[in-house]
Amino acid sequence: MGRFGKEFAKGIVISNPLFVLALGFCPALAVSISLDNALGMSVGVAVVLLGSNIIISAIRKFVPNMVRIPIFIVIIATFVTIVNLVFHAYVPSLYESLGIYLPLIVVNCIILGRAEAFASKNPMVSSIADALGVSVGFMLALLIISFIRQMLGTGSVSVFGFNLFTLPVLGEQPMVMFILPPGAFLVIGLLLALFRRMGVMKSE
Amino acid sequence: MNELISIFIGMAVINNFILARFLGLCPFFGVSKKLGNALSMGMAVTLVMFIASVTTWIINHYILIPFSVEYMNIVVYILVIASLVQIVELFIKRTNLTLYNALGIFLPLITTNCAVLGITLINAREGYSLLESIVASLGGGIGFLLVLIIMSGIREKLEIADAPRSMRGLPIAMLVGMLLGLAFFGFGGMI
Amino acid sequence: MKVKTLKGVFPVIFITVIVLISVTLLAFTDSITKDRIEYQKEQQIQGMLKEMFPDMSRYTFENDIYIIYADGAKIGYGFLAVGKGYGGDIDILVGLEDETTIKGITIVSQSETPGLGTRIAEASFADKFAGLNIGDVALRQAGGQVDAITGSTISSRAVIDAVRTTAMEKVKSLKERE
Repeated sequence: MGRFGKEFAKGIVISNPLFVLALGFCPALAVSISLDNALGMSVGVAVVLLGSNIIISAIRKFVPNMVRIPIFIVIIATFVTIVNLVFHAYVPSLYESLGIYLPLIVVNCIILGRAEAFASKNPMVSSIADALGVSVGFMLALLIISFIRQMLGTGSVSVFGFNLFTLPVLGEQPMVMFILPPGAFLVIGLLLALFRRMGVMKSE
Repeated sequence: MNELISIFIGMAVINNFILARFLGLCPFFGVSKKLGNALSMGMAVTLVMFIASVTTWIINHYILIPFSVEYMNIVVYILVIASLVQIVELFIKRTNLTLYNALGIFLPLITTNCAVLGITLINAREGYSLLESIVASLGGGIGFLLVLIIMSGIREKLEIADAPRSMRGLPIAMLVGMLLGLAFFGFGGMI
Repeated sequence: MKVKTLKGVFPVIFITVIVLISVTLLAFTDSITKDRIEYQKEQQIQGMLKEMFPDMSRYTFENDIYIIYADGAKIGYGFLAVGKGYGGDIDILVGLEDETTIKGITIVSQSETPGLGTRIAEASFADKFAGLNIGDVALRQAGGQVDAITGSTISSRAVIDAVRTTAMEKVKSLKERE
């Protein structure tokens, strides 16, 4: 449990994919306009990461080195397609909302990065822990960003249709910019600087 | 014709791949100060976007749809892109070694560039014809190139600027992205 | 000699096997999700038609036009129109009371600017179309009866033009069939 816990915890803070490793921005910036999107995307990433880490760790001793990257890509793409089809069938509104960013999980640096750097070199249990840790880290980061953007950009925060709260002034006249693309850059830029300031990662 | 122009302008500046769609961010943040390298990188990506769009359109319309296997599109597209990047890499290595060395690791990384897979997915979703896909990919690529060049020019100033320690590098580049994005909103009035 | 060829060929075999497994897995997933996806689409259309025509008991779909019935009597028509908006296509479900009057519109999907263009999906905009004569579906400046939403002329105009032109097309095709 010690080893499992260690790998798991790593993914959340020290190796947080978004705030520390600075990977996987494309979906994060695009999708972080609502908590629903953030959760949906995180689940998608988690499933793909878990699935591909497990399979790649399982076959790591048999994979010929020369074709290793194409094979990882096919495995990841297969899981992404499964997630895409399942979302389309069972959560169509989330599927519409995530748009092309759901299939784009396949080129998300986080997944291929973990496969290459970790799963291909480590036993199954550690790989599972790593996948779970990184997924949770990704989800937390995405939730924080989405929360801020949704709160400032629409004035109210809601999840699964339930309105959690509506801010007094912003509820009527929200700062729409936060929901727009430049707002994403702003929020993430400031959060990155904040995390650095707090010493989570080294400044340049 | 009007239709094609609005697709082109839409992809290039109004819904710019980097500033509005967040596709292709890695090269954007890692772009070099040297204009030449930024230009080469942008052109390499545009080239791959163009060829990938044409190839995937053909595969989509003559293989995937007729055989009702559209669900294979993600796997097929990414394999096509990976192969294309390999070929382009070899081609550049043979014809222009200096360029090859200058681009370095960024060349194989074009495979995981969201902009390339992105344009193929957008073409499929919007149901573009072959001509529309070509125009869209060129528009997207040129828009990408444009932002890369602008960023390359700004980079120089950024490195000398006296930014707070935590802001240096990535955070401030993000803020530049925000400002550029806001500026590009002005293009919305064009169509 | 035999070992050497096997070593060279093994990567190819490996990757082919992986691809075959992938194809099988995906084909399987596709077959079990396909029906559900179709069902979701139908549910969505049905829901929107019912909201537009509360008395609807059933509908049929012929030549791209939904014919709405309430217990045997024809109460209207429905069809999809596509407008060229700021951020891409805007899918609109248009309802007709008869061959000249609009019953209402519902925005099915759009990717317009949040807070501005997305307001075309608000009831206040859709209500402007209810009860209008097809010919009156145009901007007030162009002689029609619809006001564009402030700050999103492109999105508003895309919807207005799409509704009017498609409505005229569909009515023409309905008349041709009679």
